[in-house]
Amino acid sequence: MYVVDIDTSGVWIIVPAFNEAQVIGDVVADLRSVFAHVVCVDDGSGDGTAGVALRAGAHVVSHPVNLGQGAAIQTGVEYARRRPGSEVFATFDADGQHRVKDVMTMVERLRGGDVDIVIGTRFAGSTISHTPPVKRLILQAAACLSPISRRLRLTDAHNGLRVFNRAVAEHLNLTMSGMSHAGEFIKLIDENRWRVAEEPVEILYTEYSLAKGQPLLNGVNIVFDGFLRGRLRR
Amino acid sequence: MNWIQVLLIASVVALLVYLLRSRTNAKAKAWVKVGYALFVIAAVYAILRPDDTTVVANWLGVDRGADLLSYALTIAFIFTTLSTYLRFKQLELRYAQLVRAVALQSARTPEQG
Repeated sequence: MYVVDIDTSGVWIIVPAFNEAQVIGDVVADLRSVFAHVVCVDDGSGDGTAGVALRAGAHVVSHPVNLGQGAAIQTGVEYARRRPGSEVFATFDADGQHRVKDVMTMVERLRGGDVDIVIGTRFAGSTISHTPPVKRLILQAAACLSPISRRLRLTDAHNGLRVFNRAVAEHLNLTMSGMSHAGEFIKLIDENRWRVAEEPVEILYTEYSLAKGQPLLNGVNIVFDGFLRGRLRR
Repeated sequence: MNWIQVLLIASVVALLVYLLRSRTNAKAKAWVKVGYALFVIAAVYAILRPDDTTVVANWLGVDRGADLLSYALTIAFIFTTLSTYLRFKQLELRYAQLVRAVALQSARTPEQG
């Protein structure tokens, strides 16, 4: 299905999933056709997500209770970084909105060695964006309004696709359990002076992923959490 | 501007500073206890001599002692709400760490089936 011309050993794909049994099997199988190591973090699902992911060939780490996507990503990274030989780490949403092809490009980009982390963007110049207009406007405004995003020249504030090296994985410590982790991730990049690059990716907005995606109103929570971050003891 | 306005505004600003700089340390905890002790003493005094609250209120530019109490209560309530909120956030973080440790201990690999 894919022409695999890159070295995928040492690459770990982290898939946080909450009640995604319908689609997780295909998503994992698709990833496994290219990548040897996929870890699915089942975030307290009640629909058998864990079993489906395991049968599709993923390592499964199950939160006994639901914590949120940020916490699930942190768990997945902690699992992957303990596995022998892990060098490259990628986060990948479970609802099937990302393309495996994009991860391969991003891994290649990271292997170039001049950056520590590559983040997917929906809004880079040449790619066709299928993002719904209102969502697009808000995401771009968020990226423009954040001084850090501007300084790092990031155009997409909340893209679930990220590929990073061991240095990032070792020091990653996401404390925002919910959806606010995307902003936190960017702050960590800034604080730790990780070298960051963007890679244009395509998001497949299926009916399923749109229904499962976060409502725009959740942006209010994200902004509020952003102010609070750092006021809490780690 | 009379004194009560100055006081209330200062309290609100203090709340903001507290929210922004809150870190649980031994010193802060000690001050909370001192504050609580003062609160109890003031409460007992106000119960014994309710009319004195009006005297204090007049010093501060408020007509009635009851009004002064309601202002103080409002500030105390906001303060409590905020510190509870922050405490909960902190607990959530620890809870997440606990859940993560449990999850990592019982991880399953595809080879195991």
